[in-house]
Amino acid sequence: MTELPAHQLNPKITWVWRISDALTITLVFFLCAIPFFCVYAFEGEQWALLVSAVCVACYLLALIIFLAVVPPIRFRRWRYELTSDYLDIARGILWRKRFIIPFIRVQNTDTRQGPVLRAFNLASVTVSTAAGRHEIPGLDTAVAEQLRNRAAELARIAQEDV
Amino acid sequence: MAGSPTESQPHTLQTPPPQGQPQQAPLPLQPQQAYPPPMDILPVRPQKKHVHHSYIWLSLLQAAVATLIGLVFTAVPLLLEEGAIEEVFGGTVPSSGLTVAGIAVVFVVILGVTALIATLSYRNLSYELGEEEFNLYSGIISKKRVHVPYQRIQSVNQKASLIQRLLGVCTVNIDTAGGASNQAITVPYLQNTEAERLRYELFARKQALLSATAGVQTTSGSASAGSPPAPNYLPPSGLPILAAQAAPPARSGLPEQNLLDAPAQVMTELRGVFGNGALDTGAVSFQYGMTNKELFLTGLSNKTGFMLLILSGIATLTSTGAMLFQSALIEVDYERGLNLAAELVSSPAAIGLVVGAVVAALLVLWLISIGSTCLSYGGFKALRRGNRIEVERGLLQHHFNGVDIDRVQSVIIKQSFIRRIFGYCELSLAKIDALAGNSSDQQPSRVIGLVVHPFLKISRVPEILAGLVPEFAGLPTTTRPVAKQALRRAIIRRTILTGGGFWLALVLAAVSLCVALFALPALEAAGAVGATGEWGETRQLIGAGELYGTMALLILAALCLILMVLDVIGAVLWYRGSNYAYNRHFLQVTNGGFSRECVCLPRRKIQYGFTKTNPFQRRARVQTINARTAAGIGGTTVRLLDVQEAEATEWLDWIKPRV
Repeated sequence: MTELPAHQLNPKITWVWRISDALTITLVFFLCAIPFFCVYAFEGEQWALLVSAVCVACYLLALIIFLAVVPPIRFRRWRYELTSDYLDIARGILWRKRFIIPFIRVQNTDTRQGPVLRAFNLASVTVSTAAGRHEIPGLDTAVAEQLRNRAAELARIAQEDV
Repeated sequence: MAGSPTESQPHTLQTPPPQGQPQQAPLPLQPQQAYPPPMDILPVRPQKKHVHHSYIWLSLLQAAVATLIGLVFTAVPLLLEEGAIEEVFGGTVPSSGLTVAGIAVVFVVILGVTALIATLSYRNLSYELGEEEFNLYSGIISKKRVHVPYQRIQSVNQKASLIQRLLGVCTVNIDTAGGASNQAITVPYLQNTEAERLRYELFARKQALLSATAGVQTTSGSASAGSPPAPNYLPPSGLPILAAQAAPPARSGLPEQNLLDAPAQVMTELRGVFGNGALDTGAVSFQYGMTNKELFLTGLSNKTGFMLLILSGIATLTSTGAMLFQSALIEVDYERGLNLAAELVSSPAAIGLVVGAVVAALLVLWLISIGSTCLSYGGFKALRRGNRIEVERGLLQHHFNGVDIDRVQSVIIKQSFIRRIFGYCELSLAKIDALAGNSSDQQPSRVIGLVVHPFLKISRVPEILAGLVPEFAGLPTTTRPVAKQALRRAIIRRTILTGGGFWLALVLAAVSLCVALFALPALEAAGAVGATGEWGETRQLIGAGELYGTMALLILAALCLILMVLDVIGAVLWYRGSNYAYNRHFLQVTNGGFSRECVCLPRRKIQYGFTKTNPFQRRARVQTINARTAAGIGGTTVRLLDVQEAEATEWLDWIKPRV
């Protein structure tokens, strides 16, 4: 049990993370920086320029962290395994978590594909219990479909009532 | 679904043959004894039923009172103003009569509209017990239909305000699992008998459906070890309506009685104006109430009372502090003569008077809160009826909760600090909760679970559990403590990271540093500048201020120290009192400290389990174990920090389903 689950995600997932993180960070950056920059541009306040410069610095730092540093580590830490009667997930960088989700508690499973995931021909599988859900984010579409079917089959023995 | 014919029979008996499905074989027509059909099998088509007509006129009454109050508040100033005008002019101004007439017209119009709306919504409000689901129809213009599959029902609760109680009607809440917010379905203004019948029907039909589905699997896993005989929802043979006093249920042990039980009993037996007779909904196998002492202690230990006690304590403390300061000031101000001294001498008495009044007011409030808690727990009764656990309480406002044993997620034994001193605890059952659907009780109070005893002697817990939830027999006995490293970590965590004392001390140090660095030199400078005339006086004031400041600082520093010591004690207590245990069927987690909480949950109610570590925990080789259940709203996590790494992985292995 001390050993980690067997499977890793598809390596392409790091690019999905990079793209979605970059989008989020850029959005937040614009929301933060644009007002100050406007103040500088129209009112000529020097301090506003300083604040926007700080914003830019934070933005660049965040980009470096979330595009270069985090994704490989996250990928290395993200592992899953599907046994005949439970789903085993290990993930987390600082706070490491290890989940055991028995299939008899799984109420439904489904696959999802956002635009970014689709661009990389990936899909995510979601497993829901009565008290929360778990997502395995980056899997090859075929693997995801296979996994979902298997999970659904295993979850058929689940008790509907909680 | 396709059980053997005998298994699915009660289901098919009460309903017309399913339209599309081919009939397998002509079913034998004699009723099955194991699961007799629910009571109202006679109408083959499910029948829509209306709620009680007091729905109309009680809401009308409420609206009348509300509008009357509103109108009085708007009208009285108007009339007074006019009265004043009248007096000034000394003549007869007829406008006041006009105003009264106008108000009357408004009142009538509002009442008329309310009556119309109430009547229309009453006409459109109906419920029906369908084949597989409960339906509630409502809505005047936009029609709404709520379906509740019987299998999804978590608990059925009744509630009645004093007026409703006198009339013998109540509001029924049906809690379901599912949906984002777990909205409860509310059926308002049901006659008591109807409510009881509805409750009975809902549980019986649910049970019938469940047994029909589980029949194939030979009721696998649905009952844990030591469970009582299979659900026995025996319908009342012959007469469904029985007199309330018929056949007193078999009580195990002595029934606890308290002062408020008798009036509660009277209230229950009166059954209100429209209540009708009591309905026998099954045999009671275990029942208990509360003794006078328990009831009183419940009132005594409730949270608001405790807060008031603390408040009054703070008030007295500050008052004595203030008096001390005053006497100190008198000594400092010896130069300023008689005038000031006299003023100061007179003030402590005044302060004492004020403080006395405040304390007295708090005391009265506290007594009131004790009284109201006692009233709300008056007539408390918890019982086991067949497969259901039923709890009722409340002398004026009546609460009734019924939950099926299948739906109980865990048993929680909670000891607040006060209860712990007395050696008592609060016993509750966790279930899947629902947000109350109607707007009248939108209090933000998050009452989690079902309190089956608010103030129970800790030694009586096993007895009560054995009677009320025999399914929880065989709880693990050998507990495992948290890791040795946990003590060090707990002390650091509690005194520094989450320690109020530490952070308060930090803030205090920062503030006093700022004062010493900036404010005092400025004051000195000001004193030196304004020294021309009243040099002595200013100096005196500064001296007094400094005295005040240092005393406040000392008191706050002492407070910080006390808080930090308490944190350390709390950490040690947590370390000593926290443990976990598990066996084949149950997990038991105890989190200690000044207060203590022990959660026992069956393994099959654990939705999933996980361990969690942060870098420090990894260095100390400990892990946090977490078991997640569906209890509460959206799930609850039962957690124990800092379990030995190897033990935690072993525990996680236990979560895995057995082959």
